[in-house]
Amino acid sequence: MAKWKHNLKSWLTRRLELPADAVMDLPRITMVGQLHIYIENHQGVLKFSNDEVRLLLKNGQLVIKGSDFMLKTILPEEILLEGKIEHVSYLDKPKN
Amino acid sequence: MKEYIKELFSGYVRIKVVGSYTELFINRCIEYNIPIWNISRVNNDTILLSLYTADIKRIRPHLKRTRCKVRITARKGFPFLVKKVVYSRGFLSGIVSCILLILILSNMVWSITVNGATPEVEHKLKQVAEELGVKKGEFIFQLPSNQELQQKMTESLEEITWVGVKRSGSTYHFEVVQKQLPEKQPALNARHIVADKKAIITKIYVEEGQVQVKENDYVKPGQLLISGFIGKEEKSELVPARGEVYGKTWYVTNVSIPLKSTFKTNTGERKTKFSVGFFGFHLPVWGFSNPEFSQFETIVQETNLRFLKWEIPLSFQTKELLQTKEVTREYTEKEALLAASQVSREDILNKTSEKAEIKEEKILHHEVENGKVNVKIHYEIIEEIGKDIPIIQGD
Repeated sequence: MAKWKHNLKSWLTRRLELPADAVMDLPRITMVGQLHIYIENHQGVLKFSNDEVRLLLKNGQLVIKGSDFMLKTILPEEILLEGKIEHVSYLDKPKN
Repeated sequence: MKEYIKELFSGYVRIKVVGSYTELFINRCIEYNIPIWNISRVNNDTILLSLYTADIKRIRPHLKRTRCKVRITARKGFPFLVKKVVYSRGFLSGIVSCILLILILSNMVWSITVNGATPEVEHKLKQVAEELGVKKGEFIFQLPSNQELQQKMTESLEEITWVGVKRSGSTYHFEVVQKQLPEKQPALNARHIVADKKAIITKIYVEEGQVQVKENDYVKPGQLLISGFIGKEEKSELVPARGEVYGKTWYVTNVSIPLKSTFKTNTGERKTKFSVGFFGFHLPVWGFSNPEFSQFETIVQETNLRFLKWEIPLSFQTKELLQTKEVTREYTEKEALLAASQVSREDILNKTSEKAEIKEEKILHHEVENGKVNVKIHYEIIEEIGKDIPIIQGD
């Protein structure tokens, strides 16, 4: 059922050219060089330290690595992170 | 930008959150819509973050839940700035002394203006005012009241008929009406001089006009004394008659003098009390004890203090207690007659014209009745009896 729904959504995005982040609850990430990273549609902060930030996503996690991190703004669905960003990667939700 | 302004005006704090689940604390804050920002990590279990002052109470349950401890490290923004400034000793004492200064200055005389006087009189008036205390830098509540000033100044300056004293704020205005010294103005209108009362003419002095009466003539009120027509009948001319006619007139006065009378006099002993009034209550400042004398009259002078142009419910009151004494005066009959004559002489001289002279005084009869002496006195007086009347020509 869930899979069928997911398929429908991705088909709709492709066909109707709807923005994927709005329809599928995907994170939208905006970066300004290495200085800022702006993440929308996150689900919460899992870890926050000077050199690593982990954010919870709908399916999986977002790991940001770097140095001198500071959370400039944090709102229910948005985060503005400042510092020196070196690495952004996704971790998939382990399937069970 | 908007956020920044909000931060400044509502005031925010930097807090240190210590605990092993600081991320959980952040998430809960977001979940319950408590705005936090500028989060940075200090060490493994400590983070620093900014928070509105108003939200400090709201984070308490979340701290408990996540077992975190909080410490405020800095207070920032406008409200804290204001608090800091206002509660600093220098600022507060500055404001207090400023208000005091304004209060003091509002109750001082700052300028004196004189209206309607020649420079000479103005100078004299200012001198008199200074003697009375009205000068620059003097406290208004120490000065006599306006009426008193008015009266004293009018009395002490001969050149002045009347002085209006007005105080507006810290300025004294003197409105002067100067005496018009009587310049000999030739009476332009033709006129006669007639008798004002019945009299026997004693002296006639004519400057212009034709005399119609002789000395020792008996005249009735309205009788022509000096005519304004001069010249022979055909060549007669109209002039303003001028001259003085003296005549002997008679007056009878009735005076009754009580043989025994009591009245109050001041003995000269006095006591002054000062008090400060506040909303109608008076707090004595100087002169606490009651006077040693039992009979006295009180003169109260109250001045309201001002703040800029407003009157404030603070006032300064001077109370003067003047000792009085009841004096009983007893006349013998002879003394009473003397007193009666004195009284009636004054009375007569008030009634008659300026140049009057008492020629003869005769007590017609006197009687003692109910402790009073009733005296009837007859006076013979020499005075000016002339009165001007215009000649109205009817063609």
